Parts: sequence; C-alpha cells; structure tokens
Amino acid sequence: MAYKRFKFLGVAAVVLMVAMACGGSNNPGTSKQYKIGLVTDIGGLNDKSFNHLAYVGLEKAKTDFGIKDDVTESKSGNDYVNNLTGFASKNYDLVIGVGFLMQEAVGTVSGQFPNIHFAIIDGAGTDANGNDLKHTNVESLFFKEQDAGAMVGVIAGWMEKNGKAKKNKHVIGAVGGISIPPVNHYIAGYKWAATMEDPSIKVLVGYSNDFTDPAKCKGQATSMINSNADILFQVAGGCGLGVLQGAGQAGVYSIGVDADQKDADPSVIASALKKVDVATYTAIKNVVNGQFQAGALTFSIANDGAGYAVDNLTVPAELQTELKTFQDKIKAGTLTPPADIPTP
Amino acid sequence: MSAIGDILHLLITANLWQATLAAAILLLLPALGGTISERSGVVNIAMEGMMLTGAFFGVAADLAWHNPWLATGVAMLAGALMAMVHAVVSIQFRADQIVSGIAINIFAAGLTVFLINRIYGLQDVGHVDQSALLPNINVPGLDQIPFLGKVFFQQNVIVYVALVLLVLTHLVLFRTRLGLRIRAVGEHPQAADTAGINVFAIRYGAVVTSGLLSGLSGAFLAIGISNTFVPNMTDGRGYIALAAMIFGKWTPFGAFVACLIFGLGQAIYDNNSIIHISPYLLSMLPYLLTLIVLAGLVGRSIPPAADGLPYVPGSE
Amino acid sequence: MVRRLTTGLAMPLGSVLLAFVLGGLIVAATGGNPFSAYAALVCGGFGIGCAGGENPGLQISNTIVFVIPLITAGIAVALPFRAGLFNIGAEGQLLAGSIACTAIGIKFSSLPSPILLPMVLVGGMVGGALWAGVAGVLKATIGAHEVVTTIMMNYIAQWFLRYLIVGGPLQLAPGTSKSSPIGAGARLATLLPNDNSLIILGLPSSVFRVHTGLLIALAAAAGFAFLLWRTSLGYEIRAVGQSQKAARYAGISVRRTIIVTMLIAGGFAGLAGAIEIAGVDHNLTDKYFSDTTGFDAIAVALLGLGSAVGIVLAAILFGALHAGGSVMQADAGISGNLVFILQALILFSIAANFVGAIRQRIPGLGRPTALPPDLPPAAPMMTEAAAPPTEA
Repeated sequence: MAYKRFKFLGVAAVVLMVAMACGGSNNPGTSKQYKIGLVTDIGGLNDKSFNHLAYVGLEKAKTDFGIKDDVTESKSGNDYVNNLTGFASKNYDLVIGVGFLMQEAVGTVSGQFPNIHFAIIDGAGTDANGNDLKHTNVESLFFKEQDAGAMVGVIAGWMEKNGKAKKNKHVIGAVGGISIPPVNHYIAGYKWAATMEDPSIKVLVGYSNDFTDPAKCKGQATSMINSNADILFQVAGGCGLGVLQGAGQAGVYSIGVDADQKDADPSVIASALKKVDVATYTAIKNVVNGQFQAGALTFSIANDGAGYAVDNLTVPAELQTELKTFQDKIKAGTLTPPADIPTP
Repeated sequence: MSAIGDILHLLITANLWQATLAAAILLLLPALGGTISERSGVVNIAMEGMMLTGAFFGVAADLAWHNPWLATGVAMLAGALMAMVHAVVSIQFRADQIVSGIAINIFAAGLTVFLINRIYGLQDVGHVDQSALLPNINVPGLDQIPFLGKVFFQQNVIVYVALVLLVLTHLVLFRTRLGLRIRAVGEHPQAADTAGINVFAIRYGAVVTSGLLSGLSGAFLAIGISNTFVPNMTDGRGYIALAAMIFGKWTPFGAFVACLIFGLGQAIYDNNSIIHISPYLLSMLPYLLTLIVLAGLVGRSIPPAADGLPYVPGSE
Repeated sequence: MVRRLTTGLAMPLGSVLLAFVLGGLIVAATGGNPFSAYAALVCGGFGIGCAGGENPGLQISNTIVFVIPLITAGIAVALPFRAGLFNIGAEGQLLAGSIACTAIGIKFSSLPSPILLPMVLVGGMVGGALWAGVAGVLKATIGAHEVVTTIMMNYIAQWFLRYLIVGGPLQLAPGTSKSSPIGAGARLATLLPNDNSLIILGLPSSVFRVHTGLLIALAAAAGFAFLLWRTSLGYEIRAVGQSQKAARYAGISVRRTIIVTMLIAGGFAGLAGAIEIAGVDHNLTDKYFSDTTGFDAIAVALLGLGSAVGIVLAAILFGALHAGGSVMQADAGISGNLVFILQALILFSIAANFVGAIRQRIPGLGRPTALPPDLPPAAPMMTEAAAPPTEA
C-alpha cells in the first residue's frame, strides 16, 4: 500500500518534470498555448482609457506569442470576484485585473488560487483594509503617472512663460474625474512641473465626478477657460473628451491623457501617456518566458512605461531641449515629481 | 463662507448663465417630449433610453457621412423608433406604461454597448471632426448686447431650435385645435372618441414626437457638446427631464423653469475649481431641491386625468 | 389547482421564451451565434452543459449570491405594487440599508455576533424604511408622485454614499473610496467554510460565496406572503390597491396604509443592502456606485407577478442571467450586455402580455389566458394611485 502510493508519487514527479521541461523549452512545436484572461472594470473595453489600452496590449501579445486570450467586461462591481474566479478556476496561466477598483477582489481571489498568476493594473492585491497582502502570485503593475504629468506640465509651463499660449494670463487647468490616487498623481506632476517652469503660473484643478459624460467635463473646461486658463489637461477618461473638445471650440489648447489623444480634437497639443498596453504586454511576456515576478512592477519614464507625446504642436527647439533635460533629470533621479498635488 | 461669496460672484457673470442655458436645453428637449406624451395620456419615463439611442446613432451616422444635419435626423429617427416600441407596447398592447418605459431604458443601455461591440469591435468608437459637429452660432448684432448677448445669442444651433420648439409646443398645446385634441385625449379619451377624435392616432403621434425630441437632445449631447459616444453618456438626464416635467406641472414653460434650475446647479458645480465645497454634497443639491419643491412650493402635481390609462375603445 | 398553476405559469414562462427568441434574433442579425451564446449563458447561470471548463458548483454558487438580494429587493417593489404604488426607489433604499448596516457594524465592531448581527440587519431595515418613508409621507400627505420622489431619493442616496466614503466620515483612509470593514460579529457566515485550503468540488471552498443570507431571503419571502394574505394589514394594502375609494368606504385609512406600505417595502430593500454588506462585501466600496440590484428588482417583481414564489423564481432567473453574462462573453465572445437586452425584452413581453395576445389570435392554442383573479394587472393600479389620495 505504502509502496503503491510512493510509486504513484514517483510517476507524478516524472510527469511534472517533463511538463516543466516542456514549459521551459522554447521549441514552438511543443510549447503549450498560454491562456490569458483579462477582466475589465466597469468602464468596459470602450472606455477610451485604460481598459481599452489593456486590450491593445493583450492583442499585441496575442500576435507575438500566439496566446489564447479571453476578455470579460464587468457589468457591475459585483462581477469582479466572479470574473477573476472564473478564469482562475479554469486554470488560466495569467489573470489580469484592470484598475484600481479591483484591488480587493484580486487580493481575495489570488489567496484562493495560489498556483494561478495574477496581474493588476494600478493596484495590488489587498485586504479589506487596503493593505497589500503581498501574495507571491500577484504582480502589481503601478505607474508613475506623475512622471507623465510632469512632462506635459513642462510643456504647459514653458508655453505660458514664453507667451506661446493663447491668452498668456499664466493660468492653466486640470480636470480630474474623481479625486483618487491615479488621477491625482497626474495632476500633481503637472502642477509641480508647470510651476517650476513658470513660477507665476496659476493652476486650476477641478473634478467632474464622472468618467463617462463628456458634457460634464466640458462644463468644467469652459469654467476654467472663463477664468483665463488657456491650456487644459484632462484626467477623466471618456468624460474628459469634453475637455479636449471644449478647448478646441474656445480656441485654446488641451492635453490628452493615458493614450495619445491627438485624434480626439485638433486642440490637443500633447498627451500624457500611461502605457497600460506596455504593462499588460510585459506581464504576459513575463509569464510566457517563465519570468513572472511577484510584487510591484513600476512603469515610469525611466523604463518607458510612462511618458508623453507631442501632438498638434510644432515644438520650438528651446522647448525640445527643456523637455529633454527635464526627462533626463527624472530618469537620473535628480528630479522627482511628487505623487500628491502640491499646495497652494 | 467664502464659498457663498464665490457663488454670489459667479451668479452675476454671463458665462454662468450661458452654461446654465445650454445645460438646461439638454433637459428641456426630453422634458417637452414627456409633456406632449403625457398630455395625450401616455406616461413616458423612457426619455433616457430614447436620448441614449439617439446619441449613439447620431454619432454612428456622423462618423459615416460627416454631415451633422443628416446625423441629427438619424438620431431623431432612432429616438422615434424607440418611442414607437413604447407606443406599440403601451397603446396597442395596453401594457403598463411605466414598466414599458423602464424596459426601454434598460434596452437602450444594453443595445448601445452591444452594438458598439458588434460594429466597432472592441475598438474605439472614433471622434467626429470639428467640421461635422452641430455648430455654435453667434447671432450677428444681438450677440453684442451686454450680458444677454452672451447668454442667449452665443449658443449652439440646437439651443435656438429648442427655444423655438418650446414656444411652439406651448402654442400647439394651448392655442390650437390639435393641442385641444391632445389634451382631450389625455383627460377623457372616451369623450374624445365620441367627439370623433382618433385617440390612437393622437397618442401614437404624441409618443413618437417625444422620441424625436429626445433623439434631438441625444444628438445635441453627442455631436454638439461632445464629439463621440461614450457608453451611458446621458447620465440620467432623461430622468431629470421627467422630474422637470412634473415640477413644471406638465406645461412647457413650467418644465423650462425647472430645467433652468437643474442647469444652474450643474453650471455652479462646473466651477468647483474655483469654489470649494464638497463636490458630492453639491451634486446632491438639484435632487434635494426637487424634493423640497415637490413637497412644498409647487403644491400638488396633478397629471392629466387619463395619464397612464390604456384606452380600450367602447369601454366605460 | 393544477390548471390554475399552469395558466399562472404560462404567461411568465412564455414571456421569457419569447424574449430569448427575440434576443437570439438580435444576436444572429449582428453576426453572432445565438446557440453558442445561450449555451454559455445557461452554463454560467446554472452550471449545466459547460464546454469551457467552468466548475458547475461555482456557477451555481455565483448565481445564488446574486439571487439573495434580488429576492428581498424584489419584495420591496412587489409589496407597494399591491397597494397601487410604484417603488422605483428600491436602489436608494438598498443603499440606505447598506450605509446604516456598515455604520453600525463599524461603530460597534467589538460586540459579539449574537448581538451585533441582528443589530446591523435591523439597522439596515430601518435605514431603508426611512428612505422609503420620505416618499410614502410625501405621497400620503401632499400627493407627490412616488415615481418621481423615489427617483430623486435614489440619486440622493448615491451622492450621499459617495460623500461618505470619498472624503466623508466613513472613508477608510485618504485616497481610498471605501469604508473600513465591519466587525467580525456583524458578518453572515458562508454556507461552506471560508477556507482557502479545504478543497470542495476541485476548488478551494472559499470561492463558494453562498452565505446564510439565503435563508434570510427565503424567510423574507415567506414573511411577505404571510403579511399579504394572512394579516389585516395585508388585506388593507390589497384593498387600497384595488380601489382607494372602496377602501375608504370600508373604513381603511388610505394615507396610513400608503405610509406603512412604503416603510415596510423600504425595510425589505434595506435588508437587501444589509445582507450584501454582512454576507458578501463586509465594507462599503465603490462597487455600490454602479450597483443595479434595486432596478433589477423591478423586473423581478413584475416577472414574479407579485407573488412570493414567483419572486423567488424570477430572482433565480435574473441572478442566473447576471452570472451567466460573464461566461457568455468569455466563452462565446458575445457582449455580456446582451443580458440587459434580454431583461428588457422580458419586461416588454410581460407588461404587454404578448403571450396572451398571441394565444388569442391563434385559436388552436387553447383558451385565452387572463391573470389569475387574485393578481390585478399592474396598469389600473398604477393610474389610480397617480391621483393624490383624499381622505374622506
């Protein structure tokens, strides 16, 4: 009896070793097809923001690695745990939760499935008190949004200082969706860098309390324009498209967020990039290469996980130099954009 | 303390009132639709869904044809089609009109996202070019009047259309034979039928009109104020319009006043970068205000007598 | 009896069937395969016939977790229906209940379960009752239309909730959008042990989130039936719903009945919110910003034709739809939003009684059905209630 069991274990061990050997080899003929599950938050895939970018990263990984990818959009917050559990219980190789709102759900489910790998955008797997559970099967994909915010802040501040904006009253604005960390990081970097460029600048900060209704954000934008702001930074997802459009109609400049939004409106002079697609792709690549890494993986300017794009603007050489210097300083660590919005 | 001072200061700026009017018009169009529909005796809480459908098809059409006028037509048609469903279900099949309205709203929310998924895949819906948006028009001469010029004559084209529709709706409802018939059907369909009025035709017409107007509002939102479709972008405006209609005692100008109050709330809120007050409590204000007004100031809101009653020919 | 049961079931079942056929046409018309979509939906909802490797036990457990609040919130809509009132405010009342439950569960977190659990549940009911009571009082005293007042109260509850957990007194820590968790004694136990290492049906038993709130919901359904048919209050509620005038002649205070009905209904909705907190979430989170249970409850009440058994069955259907939607998207590639379309189509065909209409037009199909005599169709109830009550 005891011998039989031992024999079984031996067989199991051999099978396991063979399986591991196959998984580790790079022979495309015998390598397994990886299954990746992506769970969006309630914004859904057409949110024109990070859920959409995560999907872009997933698609790229599909092309490059031939993975099997499946997506579930969460219809309400009640779905997070179920959707994550759904993929985990089907032994997916990596389950990706998109967004800050899913932290607790990822914390719960990753504890139940210690052998399944999880990744979460903008957060960690936490308990109900918001403490990182530090599960060894969770990869947290964080972004230094303040890096991206600072770069577009340099552009805005420089233009104000040098009289290149439309009104030149040294007033700029930022419209946030809801006052939560990922939003405020952007605004913090933006305000900090703009003030550094142009110490006399005034930065208006407002919140629409909404991520889906462009009319609300356009209202915020119009109010700021009426207060002499002439460069507006949107940090409000689908709602924020109203900022870009409102700036265009009023003949002032705007700055996009997350993705390159130059096509959203001609007024968009730059975009602060949070490369959720890169992060998603990296997480998948790590799993496929057997290099899954638990804990925080931070995407910043230093590793090209955050950055900026210059859009409908011809950048003067002087600004070009300024941006380069600034970026190098952040990369070198001699300048560190703050994560909290500086006062006043 | 300073928040109150800030608000008072805002109240004397033309900018605030310009924003107030635009926000109010978004609500006024569906509120007018609801008023017409309910005056004919069909309860209509489906404006939210009709508006959302209009917004979606307006954007889809504008992206395809780059023509805001055509797109607005498509949006109105889409709203009208949704209204037609409401009409068939509640007039022909005598369904509970509130249930049918709720069903339309759920249907529209599901359908629009479902269609994005099927038409555009999991991709971006896309943005309408500035040139293909419903334009802002400054009325020459009048727009130079101090204060009032900015408020009334530097607006989107739909704002002017809506103001005309407001007056028109009032005149039709209270100054024409058609209006008399609509109200007769809403108050006493049996008597109206006896007098030779086609109750069904009037009700169908009224409900479809509410769809046209809600669809127009959807177009204003999606290709006038914004330049794309975002799921659930109507954000409960249809329900607020419903409240405005009741608030206004089922009269066009009454509804308009209510819409202005909601619009003012939104416009003040839009300035939260300047005034500092808990944004959430501020967001609550319009709804609290409605409750308070319903509770005391307006007194009893009495709907048309046959509002919500399916008409069964030959009954009673 | 059997005949009554079959005629009673024909309408809702036929309506559901019709909705699925129409939904299938929409899927097919937009280039999808309705059969694979529905197969995945059934798998996701009931754990039957799963092809994608889903665990049937897990799917059933997920469905039940959705069913529990739908039953209690469904009652919160169905009870006022009987009195001729349309409670669109179940969502706001549910939120009020969850807020009250959380606040008590945090404040008295050190109390032992036998004391604290009843406290949070009753607290949730009181919160919901007060929220609904506002609409009831406004209706009874000045005739404010309950549809409008409850919609307003929904919005107020949503914004109040945001205020509380984003920057307000219940916020866990700056930068978060949730409250701290309620005390251990305030939580409802799960039916299976909440243990990550115990394996049941091939999965850790903690993934099965079915909790004892199921028993509370079923008891609530039984209580609802008892209240409606075995008490004098139930009689008064039904009398007011049938005809306010007649009820008044019978010596019933219409105003009092309206207020009491709304209070009780709000209590049921608040209970749904409290059960969600005590059984599933254990804290208020941003998920409640997008919660739709109270709106789904309207469909549940209508499909259930306002009876306790019907509500339970309808809640199972909608719970299964909700749980199944996710599987449908993952397995069949059809957007989970199809579920909303189906829900709307079910409402249409219930409200319009398409099934009855079809049967009437095709004579061979049997006798035209009417609703059982004890189930007044909703429309006349609604409209009589629309006029403000006047006390004789």
